[in-house]
Amino acid sequence: MRRMKIDELLSATTFETDEHAPHIVIDPQACRTCPSGRACEISCPAQRYRWDEANEVMTFDHVGCLECGNCRLVCDRLFTGAEGYSWDYPQNGSGVTYQFG
Amino acid sequence: MTTVDEEDAFEAIVIGGGLAGLSAAYRLAQAGRSVLVVERGASCGAKTFTGGRLYTYSLRELLGERWREAPLQREIDREVISMLTDTEAMNVDTTFADPAGRSYSVLSTPLVAWLAEQCEQAGAEIIPGATVTGLVIRDGVVRGVRMGDEELTSALVIDAEGINPLVFERAGLVRRLAREDVAVGVKYLFKLTEEEVDRRFTTSDRRGTAMLGMGAVTKGLFGGLFLYTNIDSVSLGLVVDSDSWREHGHSLVQTAEDLRQHPAVGRYVAGGELVEYGAHLVYEGNVDTLPQLFGDGWLIAGDAAGFCINRGFTIRGMDYAIASGIAAGETAAAALAAGDVSATRLSAYKARLEGGVLADMAKVRGAHHWMAHTPDLFSTYPALAVGLMRDMFTVDGGPLVPVRSTLTGTVKKVPKKLSTALNLVKGVRSL
Ligand SMILES: Cc1cc2nc3c(=O)[nH]c(=O)nc-3n(C[C@H](O)[C@H](O)[C@H](O)COP(=O)(O)OP(=O)(O)OC[C@H]3O[C@@H](n4cnc5c(N)ncnc54)[C@H](O)[C@@H]3O)c2cc1C
Ligand code: SF4
Ligand code: SF4
Repeated sequence: MRRMKIDELLSATTFETDEHAPHIVIDPQACRTCPSGRACEISCPAQRYRWDEANEVMTFDHVGCLECGNCRLVCDRLFTGAEGYSWDYPQNGSGVTYQFG
Repeated sequence: MTTVDEEDAFEAIVIGGGLAGLSAAYRLAQAGRSVLVVERGASCGAKTFTGGRLYTYSLRELLGERWREAPLQREIDREVISMLTDTEAMNVDTTFADPAGRSYSVLSTPLVAWLAEQCEQAGAEIIPGATVTGLVIRDGVVRGVRMGDEELTSALVIDAEGINPLVFERAGLVRRLAREDVAVGVKYLFKLTEEEVDRRFTTSDRRGTAMLGMGAVTKGLFGGLFLYTNIDSVSLGLVVDSDSWREHGHSLVQTAEDLRQHPAVGRYVAGGELVEYGAHLVYEGNVDTLPQLFGDGWLIAGDAAGFCINRGFTIRGMDYAIASGIAAGETAAAALAAGDVSATRLSAYKARLEGGVLADMAKVRGAHHWMAHTPDLFSTYPALAVGLMRDMFTVDGGPLVPVRSTLTGTVKKVPKKLSTALNLVKGVRSL
């Protein structure tokens, strides 16, 4: 069976995204000194976190986030709410909108 | 005594319109109490997510005979337990004569949306698309909710926020959810036709199959796969322990895709159209880390309280969400009728759960810890089972091997056989 990339997987799911208000915030530069073995990258079921090797920054895209909350638990900085890191749900009914759930 | 105030907008406010919150609201509305459900999704069900098998006893308790009108999928009469290596599998496959409606496959969104309609018909109010951001707490008593700058007061609040209870965590009423307590689950939903599902699972009349599997699909870590047949679709998912996964180094998405490639699994969904991909946390179920369940002016139910049992071969959260919602709603209605919403009065909630979810969770105390720390379960045992079957059924013209030699041969190939056997006995006792 053909393998699918994350963008193709997520395109099956409905999102009402607020492009401008990220509900999860990280500090891409500060991620260079990640204390959590960059767990966000492997543990996010929507692959929203990608290490940009050339610029040595962690990139994060809140669009397509499934709001599972796993990054909030595996990243020690999100877990403790360190400076520059915060996790919240999207507001006003935006975000993932399951049709089947 | 914490009394009921005439000025309140509602007698009760429920945070979260999932199965737990709606069950509580339904009971409150039936008792003639004014109740508001605040739901952050654009509608009830838009944010809820499950694997897909509901044990119906608590839905029946909630709705009486009307439970049959609920949008359920297939009545499960076939149970498959699968043990998998990278490329092979051995299944234990059982078909029961009379499933007696005990469990159905479900899709969460339509089920929750339907229950929300029943609540509204019973007189509950629901505001969707609104996120509770904090609590109104006066003199240590919970007296309502905050949504941004807006404040809505009530005599009592029922928390049914689900597994990430941000509002109650931030208010310090429950402890922080930790990665040691949860697994992360991903699920694909593949659309087929009803006839095609019948054909692939050799069934008819909306009977269905539940399959759970463990082994190489989780790269040897605590977790497993689930597969449920719906009327005209198949739910296929993977659940992995959040904490050990973090240490492990494989991409979760790649691993889910590997599962889909597994010949013993992929064939059930091959050619189906992917109509949804989602993810959610699931409790591993630990009675020792449950929070305080009630206080002055509040109760907590469902996933927010941690009511879930994940035994590998069964995941139960939805039935407990409904059951605890019923108990919370009834306790709250009685407290409101008596004009007393103090912790003392609301402690009746916990007493009720002691005969149900709390007793169940206590019985499997230690099961989660054992499974999480017994990697053999997810590597050695499946390899042993599959290897034995392979040896028994391999006929290649070589000299015949008696079954007894096949057995000892297979066991010899497996390292640490003694510790494995002892550990298995120990663990199975906790399940
Ligand atoms: C992959 C997976 C497989 C599973 N398989 C099964 C299974 O086969 N059988 C089974 O019985 N259980 C299963 N479970 C567990 C089950 O899905 C849950 O236990 C159950 O759905 C919990 O219901 P709930 O009402 O407590 O929470 P939820 O369904 O999570 O509802 C919480 C609601 O609160 C809302 N909310 C949250 N915060 C706010 C806020 N601040 N303001 C307003 N609204 C808010 C949310 O949007 C949501 O609608 C599974 C779980 C997962 C993840
Ligand atoms: S785990 Fe946290 S700190 Fe580490 S790279 Fe990811 S977001 Fe940054
Ligand atoms: S909440 Fe879940 S889906 Fe969203 S970024 Fe975090 S881990 Fe990924």
